[in-house]
Amino acid sequence: MEKNAIGKQIVVYATLAVLLVFALFPLYWMFNTSFKSNGEIYNMTPTFWPKDFTAIAYEKLLTEKNFLVNIKNSLVVSLIVAFVSIIVSMLAAYAISKLRFRGRKLISRGILYAYLMPRAVLFIPLYMLVSSIGLNNSIYGLMLIYPTITIPYATWMLISYFKSIPAEIEEAAMIDGCSRARTMLSIIFPLAAPGIAATFIFAFTLCWSEYLYALVVVTKGADKTITLGLSDMIVGDVFAWGPLMGGSIIASIPVIIMYLFTSKYMVSGMTVGGVK
Amino acid sequence: MKTNMNNRLAYGLMSPMLIYLIAIMVLPFGWAVYLSFTNKVVGAPAVFTGLNNYIDLLQDSLFWKTVWNTLLFTAVAVIFKTVFGMVMALVLNENIVFRNVFRVLLFLPWTIPTIVSVFTWQWIYSDVGGVLNFLLLKAHLISEPVGWLATPALAMFSVILVNVWRGIPFMGIAILAGLQTLPKEMYEAAMLDGAGAVKRFIYMTLPSVKEVTVLAAVMTTIWTLNDFEIIWLLTRGGPSNGTQVVSTLSYTIGFLNLSLGKAIAIAVLTMPPLIMLINFVTKRSLSSND
Repeated sequence: MEKNAIGKQIVVYATLAVLLVFALFPLYWMFNTSFKSNGEIYNMTPTFWPKDFTAIAYEKLLTEKNFLVNIKNSLVVSLIVAFVSIIVSMLAAYAISKLRFRGRKLISRGILYAYLMPRAVLFIPLYMLVSSIGLNNSIYGLMLIYPTITIPYATWMLISYFKSIPAEIEEAAMIDGCSRARTMLSIIFPLAAPGIAATFIFAFTLCWSEYLYALVVVTKGADKTITLGLSDMIVGDVFAWGPLMGGSIIASIPVIIMYLFTSKYMVSGMTVGGVK
Repeated sequence: MKTNMNNRLAYGLMSPMLIYLIAIMVLPFGWAVYLSFTNKVVGAPAVFTGLNNYIDLLQDSLFWKTVWNTLLFTAVAVIFKTVFGMVMALVLNENIVFRNVFRVLLFLPWTIPTIVSVFTWQWIYSDVGGVLNFLLLKAHLISEPVGWLATPALAMFSVILVNVWRGIPFMGIAILAGLQTLPKEMYEAAMLDGAGAVKRFIYMTLPSVKEVTVLAAVMTTIWTLNDFEIIWLLTRGGPSNGTQVVSTLSYTIGFLNLSLGKAIAIAVLTMPPLIMLINFVTKRSLSSND
């Protein structure tokens, strides 16, 4: 029995080690490359830690390229879209989770449909919509269509957060004379605040990481987002790996930080409430 | 009376969402479906051509090759993501030190932007200074550098590997959530009865996480079927269409050849299986979220 338990421990930790190496090696490699000089990067024998730690790739990135503009565009689009989406979704999610009305099942089903509908199917219709009203080549076009990603997602998330608030709390408030609107604004929303914050953050990261819609909608330099800025660093077959990896680190840092704050909400978030 | 007021209040609250989704998602999609029956190209008016786009596609061997590639890519990637996701969940469900730290670390590949993971892997695969070739040469597993994206078969392997790397955490965390609802006592009883680890896994663990595993796997399938970024950025569908999938073909025809009508026809042809999968997920999730 004792021997068995030790054997099991060895298997568990060995498997864990393999998984960790596989998951983290690319991230470590991105970090490692971004702090090397060009000469060191293109050396045929890769070094596993920068010989002379240099921030030259970052310097290049922030001075020679439009990367700061790309970052600003992504920030603006992601913040505005996440903010508007969360407001719209809060109202809708409240109705769906707390009110009984005709068509409720149909609408919640429609929202899930919209959430699962892949971008690869929607990108052409959305491109045509945006260009027909003259918003192509501008971040306003992205602001118009990104909520097709974030609103269904946020609504679905918020429905499960609101549902987890017991109906008795609301009923008690209404008996005390609170109106529906009052209970919604001063009881349900504050109680669900952590869930709302997490949903806001996820909505932000969805926009921040988006590539396909940005690729088809924006082709003009000044309005490009961070994902486009990164892919623009490849000219033909020439890869500037230093700045590319530095840019990748910069693009990853905000989402990783946000994720660390919200990781405990991640599970319910990902499985569309299927795990209960 | 009360229901009437509820109806009005509910639709009032939902109206911004409903108006937005109908105007920006449903109507443009309907319009696009109409355009798939025309010869619409970028910058020119559309002329109705009936089923021409569809017939063209169904007679095009490239389209069928693309369908096959998509199915292969999806099937292999989903199987590997599910298996390794299961392994990840089982390991994280054990009593290990720093479990939460490891959970967070193993989850990182899913959180970073797809485009970032693609570039990182592209650099790892590179035949000039790429670390994968270096390590395999050092370990004497290969005798000369391999062009990981140079031949159709290897390129397919390489794009699948990136997709699997990104997708394992989703499966892992979903299955882990299922595992954590299992009562510990059940295992202890089974262990006292002398059931071995393999037996316990097959007869106890697997049946109890079957539901959540299937749901997560179907969602993963929907996303994998429509993966664009990984393949487009790594191979552009090449070499010689060896990794061309439905989404990259649709993009190529729509935005490089500028035949929007035909590009939408591709998307429309992928809808029936897609709708089946989405229906499956909505049915399962709605019953548990109701």
